[in-house]
Amino acid sequence: MKDSRTWMVLSLFITCLISAFALSQIYNLTLPQIEYQRNVAGLKAAFGTVMPEADRFEPATPDSSVWLAFKGETRIGSIIKTAKQGYGGPVPVTAGVDLQGRIVAIKVASAAEGLKETPGLGLKATEPEFRDQFRGKTAAEIRLTKDGGTIQAITGATITSRAVTDGVRETLEKYREMLILQQEPDSEQ
Amino acid sequence: MKLNPGQIFLAAFLVNNIILMRFIGLCPFFGVSTSVSTSIGMSAAVLFVMLLASWVSWVLYHAMLLPLGLVFLRTAVFILVIAALVQFVEMFLKRYIRNLYSAMGIYLPLITTNCAILAVTFFNINYNFNLLQATVFALGTAAGFALAIILFAAIRERLDDAPISPAFKGYPIAFIGAALVSLAFMGFTALFGIS
Amino acid sequence: MNSKPSRISYLTSGIIKENPTLILMIGLCPTLATTVTARDALGMAAAASFVLICSNIAISAIRKLVPDSVRIPIFIIIISTFVTIIDYVMQAYQPDLYRVLGVFVPLIVVNCIILGRAEAFAYHHGIFDSFLDGLGKSLGFTLVLFIMGSLRELFGAGTFFGSPVLPAAYRSAPMLFAIFPPGAFLLIGLLKALVNKLGWGR
Repeated sequence: MKDSRTWMVLSLFITCLISAFALSQIYNLTLPQIEYQRNVAGLKAAFGTVMPEADRFEPATPDSSVWLAFKGETRIGSIIKTAKQGYGGPVPVTAGVDLQGRIVAIKVASAAEGLKETPGLGLKATEPEFRDQFRGKTAAEIRLTKDGGTIQAITGATITSRAVTDGVRETLEKYREMLILQQEPDSEQ
Repeated sequence: MKLNPGQIFLAAFLVNNIILMRFIGLCPFFGVSTSVSTSIGMSAAVLFVMLLASWVSWVLYHAMLLPLGLVFLRTAVFILVIAALVQFVEMFLKRYIRNLYSAMGIYLPLITTNCAILAVTFFNINYNFNLLQATVFALGTAAGFALAIILFAAIRERLDDAPISPAFKGYPIAFIGAALVSLAFMGFTALFGIS
Repeated sequence: MNSKPSRISYLTSGIIKENPTLILMIGLCPTLATTVTARDALGMAAAASFVLICSNIAISAIRKLVPDSVRIPIFIIIISTFVTIIDYVMQAYQPDLYRVLGVFVPLIVVNCIILGRAEAFAYHHGIFDSFLDGLGKSLGFTLVLFIMGSLRELFGAGTFFGSPVLPAAYRSAPMLFAIFPPGAFLLIGLLKALVNKLGWGR
């Protein structure tokens, strides 16, 4: 019976059926949690350090480079993501911006997250000494001192410093209207 | 980041080289790269199956799994598609194109468990590629596979004659050689990439 | 005189004598790709072990019913079912780990260890023996991944499971080579050379 032709087809069919059933159950079981991770917890982990007050984020552009940050129902700022070319590759930066267009905090991806800058030089962009300079600054101020701004470049890593600074400033300027609260907040849905 | 087809090809070919940068498809890489001729045969078979698998899996996913809400069957369906495809290609070549079959026939069965093929079908979906982009990506990946494996086979042919301490003979020295080739490929990472 | 291998050897042979990664040289992709940190390595090892043990048990349980001619497709369906289960569970409850492991979780389905054990062992042995065999091979795989992950994290970041181990001076300029692809190839090459030198697996 084990090797009959009917059983050959039937056994394959039964396996498929059991497998599909088990998977549909698992899918339905885990889907709410996956959605929650994707929409709430995951974003909070990714953006929490640059916008600690917020508890909810919504994408504002189709390419996900700008996000709106909410605390409860109130809009408290935005998150921008940028990755300008540095010395060894793109330098991914996440920045929180408040409703006055001032930087709350920035985060530069670590080497483990794909930053390819030189250790001891460009890689220092991830450290607080460099990052904390951005706190409270507006687009106009975000430029290296040697380019006429207020950000002190990392010694020996001008290209990396400039990638971070220019990336943040250019994104701020590009999405200026979106980042600060629209003129009539009441007319928003 | 939006990439045009040329960039997708280069990214798959060099920057995100499937073997040396992504570590996918290592078993055939070390298993088959003992001589240049076998490497070429394997690469041809990979190119052929990778293209077909990309098309079939892409169409199946977008025409069947996605509309019917069966995305959870993706892994099972894709691996079965590849297994069936390999069988089908083997039968077809054996019957109609004997020359091609004798060139790459023996490599075809090995391809079912070649993770590079399955990985490409997943990447096509994960990166939201359209059919053209998926085709270009599959071509680039297969070319990158061929480049790495043929380059590496040439190195290994020479290693056979080199005086190597017994503990390092075979796999260890092959790994170290791969480390050096991979180091060279890291030079491309500054260009751009898909991630 | 009992020539049958003892049950305990089903368990222990996988750890050193038939270590899947360092002796049989299969399952190399995750060994190199998902060992940037010790945590990633253990996460990958846990996922693969789950699939290996479960599929070994399931296949052994139904081995008397499976027709020879369609056994491989049936194995593949069973394995891919367990892979998809762990895929969704990780996505739901370990999203950070899942983000790092990425495509390597669904790729467990083509990990040659799993189909290899199904065909060579579980299809011909009882449920308990298949469980022991799966557990043993999983331990061997986990051991190698753990060694790779720990060493790469230690040299590449100066940390161990995310907590600092080496002095701050090292951590600010670590040997990044270790976490980049070439470092992984070099390290497994050295490990394999060590195994050859010690004469394991002969």
